[in-house]
Amino acid sequence: MRKRLAAHARVVAALSRRSIRQAFRRPQFLAPIIVFPTLFLAVNTGGAGRAVDLPAFPKVHGFLDFQLAGSMTQSAMLAGVSAGIALALDIEIGFIDRLVVAPISRAAIVLGRLSATAVLGALAGVWFLVIGLIFGAHIQGGVAGFLVVVAEASLCAGAFGALGAALALRAQTASVVQGIFPLVFVVLFLSSAFFPRNLLLQPARTIADWNPMSLIAEGLRDPIVYGLSWSAVGKGLGGIAIVMSLGGVLSALAMRRRLSVG
Amino acid sequence: MTLAAELRTVWALMRRALNELVRVPGAAIPGVLAPAIFMLGLTSVFGKLTLLPGFTTNDFMSFLIPVSLLQGAGFTGAATGVNLARDIELGWFDRLIVAPPARSALLAGLVLSASLRALIPMTFLLIVGLAFGVHFPGIGGLLIAVVLATGFSAVAASWGITVALRFKTQSAAPLMQAGIFMAVLFTASYAPLDLLTGWLHTVATYNPVRFIIDAARQGFVGDVSWGTTWKGLLALAGLAAVIVSLALRGLRHASD
Amino acid sequence: MAGIDLEVAEQEIYAFLGPNGAGKTTTVRMLTTLLKPSGGTARVAGYDVVADASSVRRSIGVALQEAALDPLMTGRELMQLQATLHGLSRAETNRRSEALLNRVGLIEAADRRVGTYSGGMRRRLDLASALVHDPKVLFLDEPTTGLDPVSRITIWEEVRKLNDEGTTVFLTTQYLEEADQLADRVGIIDDGRMAAEGTPAVLKAQIGRPRLELTIADGGAERAEQIIVGFGEAMPARDGVLMVGLERGASDIAPIVRALDEAGLHVESLNLVHPTLDDVFVEKTGRHLEGAGEQPEEAEAPTA
Repeated sequence: MRKRLAAHARVVAALSRRSIRQAFRRPQFLAPIIVFPTLFLAVNTGGAGRAVDLPAFPKVHGFLDFQLAGSMTQSAMLAGVSAGIALALDIEIGFIDRLVVAPISRAAIVLGRLSATAVLGALAGVWFLVIGLIFGAHIQGGVAGFLVVVAEASLCAGAFGALGAALALRAQTASVVQGIFPLVFVVLFLSSAFFPRNLLLQPARTIADWNPMSLIAEGLRDPIVYGLSWSAVGKGLGGIAIVMSLGGVLSALAMRRRLSVG
Repeated sequence: MTLAAELRTVWALMRRALNELVRVPGAAIPGVLAPAIFMLGLTSVFGKLTLLPGFTTNDFMSFLIPVSLLQGAGFTGAATGVNLARDIELGWFDRLIVAPPARSALLAGLVLSASLRALIPMTFLLIVGLAFGVHFPGIGGLLIAVVLATGFSAVAASWGITVALRFKTQSAAPLMQAGIFMAVLFTASYAPLDLLTGWLHTVATYNPVRFIIDAARQGFVGDVSWGTTWKGLLALAGLAAVIVSLALRGLRHASD
Repeated sequence: MAGIDLEVAEQEIYAFLGPNGAGKTTTVRMLTTLLKPSGGTARVAGYDVVADASSVRRSIGVALQEAALDPLMTGRELMQLQATLHGLSRAETNRRSEALLNRVGLIEAADRRVGTYSGGMRRRLDLASALVHDPKVLFLDEPTTGLDPVSRITIWEEVRKLNDEGTTVFLTTQYLEEADQLADRVGIIDDGRMAAEGTPAVLKAQIGRPRLELTIADGGAERAEQIIVGFGEAMPARDGVLMVGLERGASDIAPIVRALDEAGLHVESLNLVHPTLDDVFVEKTGRHLEGAGEQPEEAEAPTA
């Protein structure tokens, strides 16, 4: 049994390595995950930084500290969409057939890509935290906080990867999946990713109160601006769990459909 | 080549670009929707910034809309560069280069089609903005905004074309888009210049696009003045002169 | 698919011959567990393709028509991934990858990205990847379509060698020369059903008859066709060449020429041809096999 598990893990690792290599070999894949969220971080911090002076703004060390979570959330979501696009491309060029015909479990095919997305999410988490530190942010939660945030970013990316994969399996063409990009931003703007919930304009404020993305963003933010706490971890994992279950169910359904119609 | 023949070339190129739009309308939807989504989204998120002392208006969307207009125009222009990079990869571009039309006619065709296409997201943006309560800028203010945004789309298209010719691959698309992003947003985009913090304040002070945005913004937040308008037009002209000549040079060397 | 019954013996080379759209690729996809059959059963290497799909996958190697390669990977990376997918150990992975890359002549290009490979190189890589786990049965879907003659011959030699070493080969093709040259047995498929099956020699012997091919000058083709039909078996014309099946052979020619001459028709060219698989196809389906006799020569240019 253990040998089987080890063999299974080797397959997932090999597929994962391939997906990560692919991301680094295509700048258009990496750009939405790192470049654009960083530029956005720069504009938001420079343009809206004075918001900390507003009386209703929570007391934080700096606006940059506050913004980092938004960048990581954005990055994780876009990593998920990129994973979907990559899978759709695999379907378009027939590479997926190679995987289906191989004697590997169906789960390994999806897990390979999801674990790669999780790795990219972790890398993005590290990137933004380091950028933040360089430009003067303080991580109140210390080293433990740093690690928790990176772990959450990683899980978040994996969860969105599942959603992206489900979309790719249904749509089967990359251009459809790519059209989801604007939707990602709609969901982000209707959450507390970039600004405190109590300072959003209506109706965004009400929607944000119910949006699982707010949970995820606050789960990433609290360890940075307030310190590590169970509520912070709880919020983050709760939001991720909601997304993951949605993504997992949709993926499984789509995969089964794809294999029988093939 | 006669002027008539050159004009026909320009027209043919424009028709081709517009044809693509009609044939795959779905592909254009993200480009049209995105600036409007950003305008509404950024307003929902950062709208309360207007409460800060020093903010020149109390309606964030009216303050932001010129930025969104330039964003829409700019990304449509950048898309021209992406399409050109694709045509280069496919080999279609080589055929065009070998044909008689002067390089300037080629550039004109590509740039004009981009400017025409840019009108779509811009119109959509204005309709959405006005529907959501943006202050009507008056005919003069509106005209200035449209002219500046359309002119910017030409600049953006030339930028995209320059990058496409330099790198000859679709992988350069992020560079085209990032360039536009920085040009438009590293300005007094979310707040007046004095309220910008640190490095952005410095960058925005010297960014020529800031003057374009300031000029386009006038009607939406207050009165139109010649001084501000002139500065905007001059900045646009200067930027255009530099980038268009880069694009032209790139085209002339394309067959080397 | 209307209904296919076939059986392939161990260590045989079986060719599925038919025009585009006949159902060749669909059949291969069903046999390689990519597609669930709508009815009936199939067993590959002794395992049922539906109930025991994973055992089938372990025993087969597959090289599909659209060589399913990732342009961003290098040849070596692909081989190693394929080996890992088949559960080979690290050492075996390296050994088999290098050996196969050498065998198909890609060892020098192994570290270049597949996107830079020519069509022939991609097919060779695809073939090598199908062999990495030493499969009992090899499925090749149109292995030489679109290749230049030299690459085609290389692939043929490789397939023969593999078969000599004990691999059963099931290939689909639209080129009758390929089926004729390679296959122990041929299944002719048209419109989703099997039109004929047997060894190339037996199939051709069934038709047995030589045919006369002629072209008529000055548009007298229609009248000529009416005349020659009286001397042998009617056959459809192709590209302006009239054909008639002969009973005996060369001795049938003289009366035909005389009859045409008497009708004032001028014979431009005349050719006595012995039966090919295309004739078998015509006999069974009433049509010529698409692309029959055509060996397209495409210049191989590496795709960027």
